[in-house]
Amino acid sequence: MNDLRLLLEGTVILGTPLILAAIGGYFSERSGVINIALEGKMLIATITVWLVTIATGQPVIGVAAGISASILFSMFHWLLTQRYSLDPIVSGMAINAIAFGAANFLDKRFTDPDQAGFPKLPLMAFWVFALMLPFLVWLYVRHTRGGLRLLAVGSDPDKARQMGVFPQRTRFMALIATGVLCGLAGALIVSNAGSYVDNMTAGRGFIALAALILGGWRPLPTLAACIAFGFFYQLQIQLQGTQVLGISAPRELWLCLPYIATLVALAGLLGRNRTPAGLGKP
Amino acid sequence: MKIWALLAIAVGLVYGALVVAGAAPADTAQSLIQGSLGSAKALEGTMKHFTPLLIAGVAVFFALRAGLFNIGVEGQFTVGALVCAVVALRMPGWLGLIAGILAAAVAGALWAYPAGWIKAMRGGHEVISTIMLNNIAGQLSTAAVAGPFKDPNQQGTTTASIDPALMLPSIWQDPRISAALLVAVLFVIGIWRWLGRTVPGYELQAAGANPRAATLAGIDAPKVTIRAMAISGAIGGIAGALQVVAYEGRFFAGFSSGYGFDALGVALLAGSNPLILFPSAALFAILAKGSTTIQVMNGVPKGISFVILGLLIVIFAAIRYRKVPVKES
Amino acid sequence: MSLAVQMRGIGKSFGAVRALDDVHLEVEAGTIHALVGENGAGKTTLMRILYGAIHATDGTFEVKGQPAKFRNSAGAIRAGIGMVSQHYSIIPDLTCLDNLMLGAEPGWTIDKRAAEQRATELAQRMGFEFDWSAEASTLSPAGAQKLEILKLLWRKAEIMILDEPTAMLSPADSDALYGSLKQLVADGATVIVVTHRLPEVMQHCRDVTVLRGGKFITAKPVAETNPAELAELIVGHAMPPPSVRSVPDNAEDLLRVVNLTVAGHRGDDAVKSATFSLHKGEVVGIAGVDGSGQRELFQALMGTSKLRHGELILGNWSLHEHSIAERLRMGLRLIPEDRHEEGVVEVWSLELNAALGLQRFPPLAVGTIVNDEARHQAANEMARRFNTKHGGIRQPMASLSGGNQQRFVAGRALFLTPRLILAFQPARGLDIDATRHVYEGIYEECEKGAGALVVSFDLDELLQFCDRIIVMNGGVVTQPNSRDRAVIGRHMVGVAS
Repeated sequence: MNDLRLLLEGTVILGTPLILAAIGGYFSERSGVINIALEGKMLIATITVWLVTIATGQPVIGVAAGISASILFSMFHWLLTQRYSLDPIVSGMAINAIAFGAANFLDKRFTDPDQAGFPKLPLMAFWVFALMLPFLVWLYVRHTRGGLRLLAVGSDPDKARQMGVFPQRTRFMALIATGVLCGLAGALIVSNAGSYVDNMTAGRGFIALAALILGGWRPLPTLAACIAFGFFYQLQIQLQGTQVLGISAPRELWLCLPYIATLVALAGLLGRNRTPAGLGKP
Repeated sequence: MKIWALLAIAVGLVYGALVVAGAAPADTAQSLIQGSLGSAKALEGTMKHFTPLLIAGVAVFFALRAGLFNIGVEGQFTVGALVCAVVALRMPGWLGLIAGILAAAVAGALWAYPAGWIKAMRGGHEVISTIMLNNIAGQLSTAAVAGPFKDPNQQGTTTASIDPALMLPSIWQDPRISAALLVAVLFVIGIWRWLGRTVPGYELQAAGANPRAATLAGIDAPKVTIRAMAISGAIGGIAGALQVVAYEGRFFAGFSSGYGFDALGVALLAGSNPLILFPSAALFAILAKGSTTIQVMNGVPKGISFVILGLLIVIFAAIRYRKVPVKES
Repeated sequence: MSLAVQMRGIGKSFGAVRALDDVHLEVEAGTIHALVGENGAGKTTLMRILYGAIHATDGTFEVKGQPAKFRNSAGAIRAGIGMVSQHYSIIPDLTCLDNLMLGAEPGWTIDKRAAEQRATELAQRMGFEFDWSAEASTLSPAGAQKLEILKLLWRKAEIMILDEPTAMLSPADSDALYGSLKQLVADGATVIVVTHRLPEVMQHCRDVTVLRGGKFITAKPVAETNPAELAELIVGHAMPPPSVRSVPDNAEDLLRVVNLTVAGHRGDDAVKSATFSLHKGEVVGIAGVDGSGQRELFQALMGTSKLRHGELILGNWSLHEHSIAERLRMGLRLIPEDRHEEGVVEVWSLELNAALGLQRFPPLAVGTIVNDEARHQAANEMARRFNTKHGGIRQPMASLSGGNQQRFVAGRALFLTPRLILAFQPARGLDIDATRHVYEGIYEECEKGAGALVVSFDLDELLQFCDRIIVMNGGVVTQPNSRDRAVIGRHMVGVAS
């Protein structure tokens, strides 16, 4: 019974940052901007939340600063792709590199090695928000002007423009949403860990992206994918050292599961390809 | 875009970061150069970065000409290195060296193949699939050296070491320069001539630039895409193998220090001219080696080199990869 | 008598190119006004200025008596102007209802039920019927056109611009469309139709404005003119008589299409048991409204789509058993429909593009090695053949205008002695003189023993330049026994017998 409770709790702890980041990616990719920079945006948020919270002693200020940093990087992404027509993948890579370097730099420069304890965030509020978010987004794209325009721009920016919609403006709003959600995801990761280590996000931005693709760029299946990833990750922790069906698989095999599932989805073995038609179009 | 304004902002950012870190910028720049080029030993260290960056850069470059963003060189490099170490350790003498490199080429090609197939047959973006393959390569190779291929005589997750006498020989002593450099140079020149002078090279670039037009020109674009991805993967695998047989002598967990990602920067900087891979790889190698020195000497965290790298990618992408201006009809 | 639109002295330059110069347009409220002219005459540019999509370099205009200056299309929409462009602005992934509302949603939040109700009311007023929750990708061309008109009504447009509205429609659908437009006009709307189909102008429009080469030529009531006069005004000189070419009747067959059936992209048969032949030296035109199976016929001939059954025999080769590369080697050459996507690599130089499709053949290649010098010469020759205007053959293809790209692509298709020329809308983007040049180039190759199949949606072009005309309608090939416009027209809509 205790195991089950641990499993559920672990799933939520591991799954919620993924949900936030994946839905952040949803806004970006649905507006047509390929986003491999979720990782970098989360990472810059983690270090900012960490340092600012400790400096001010106020988690609220820390989280606000983390979100701001993430938004700033997201705006940079918008600027590069929309104003200067840079390839979204190249600029995404650059943002990841800059975030990785900056986080390492700030951590090494400013973290006090004797720092003990990090104030816990109101985790329950985060969890409820993260679990409800995909439903809210689902309602949003169906029943609001902003949602309709988001899908239209991501599907065919030129035709949307002809109808009086401004793709750059829509993408600006979408990338702000991406920044906010990646910022929240980063805050949650720091809070869960309670301490800071280099490369704190450890590839979770890519797992979130994988969940988004696995979910066919739809909010509710994406939620399911995030929860599944969290579940398997936690299961892997709890099963470590024990045998399943007579064999003890190394943990790395478990960690591969999200990536393998995503490859299978990309190969079209899980139904039709649902890539937004305008993904990557200027 | 105002390239110079961007450059100025980048320089300003880096300068500011140095000041924040409490280092004198001029001193830092000096130790960066000193640490990467200033002595035979420094140069040796830089070459150790330069060679794999150059070959991995060729792999990325080749794929780019076929219209593919092979972010997966990181994974192909890792798989190639692992397979090479495992094969070389199980074969006697020189045979192991050769068989190891060949096996690495095959392994790299196989590791890239799914991405090419998914792109050509299913329209799935190769960037996403190669990111997934990279992560799988990282996890599985760690599992491999933690489990079946671990050297029982050592604590860490590593294979045993190859007999130094059976490693790739040097072509120069003091600074020691491995024959791997020769291989790298041959790769660059070979790819340059092949793309520019042969019909298959022309067809590969046509398929990359406009697959539909290429198809109507009698080119089997999906086949070319899959093949280009596999060849790129093979080159990436060879880059990993050479790192084993020329420098490290073994494979260990976390083998690639991000060569695959740096290689993307190397190739982007080179644009459409493969010969620019030389200076471009040199720049990245100097940054990689020199940043270790400035961390030790000037107390500037190594992270700054990634910031510089990211800014460089943005600046050069801005110069080379701007979209053709839309014209009114 | 009040003017809905009055444009005065409109000029527009794109860089060094003067697209419009001192153009006038006066459209009376409550009428259908035709704006006619050749490709490149500036019709669409003028309408995009009125719609606020681009800005005039000179001149002013008034809408409903008020001076107007639109920063963007949103401004024009607010002033009651709506435009349906030639390529519909319907997004296939969205539902019909979403497409209807996009850009003019009822508010921040959308009440789907209320919106659907209003949409249904609008549709009923026009006598249309829609499944509002269906994806727009399921619409036929005529259905899409109807949705476009409803989009204008949804936006409460009073002045409606329709750019080539009948280009994709069958004659029956075209008539229905004008029926709807007349109803709108009766309700007080004003309609401007951009077209090059003179029968439509004569039959349905009240006034006509003619543009040529970016200049205003004339404006007059349709009742005071006739098709011959309009045609002359449009091209600037009397139309040359149809060419008379002598093709020997007893020439041997070059291409035989036997019982050909090809699948369409919806899984149905897009070409149905087509049988016809092409003689050596002959130029055969394929007439028909867009979407009658011409595209799929060409795909089968080129080898980009598989046959369901049937045979394609070129000389004594079974064409359908060979790859695209082998067909090119046998002398198939294509002037593709969409040159941007299918004919050229825009980021490449003209020189590199010169080899595209010919890359394996001498003199452009020696074995598997590229022959730079031969390629350089070939590029120059291809550009010269139809007077491609370019800034040097090392310049990227993207620096050429559409018409010049078309000339280059046509020049390339006729290089290296073609045997079977497949030309899909070869005159696209070309003026009448360039069109004649290209056909004369095709004749030259035909005299050397080649043959040509030409698809065009412009029956007059085919009548003028082709030796024989066959017709496609709904995938079925018929062979009218007369060159009479009316007879062929009946074949095009399948009421020949």
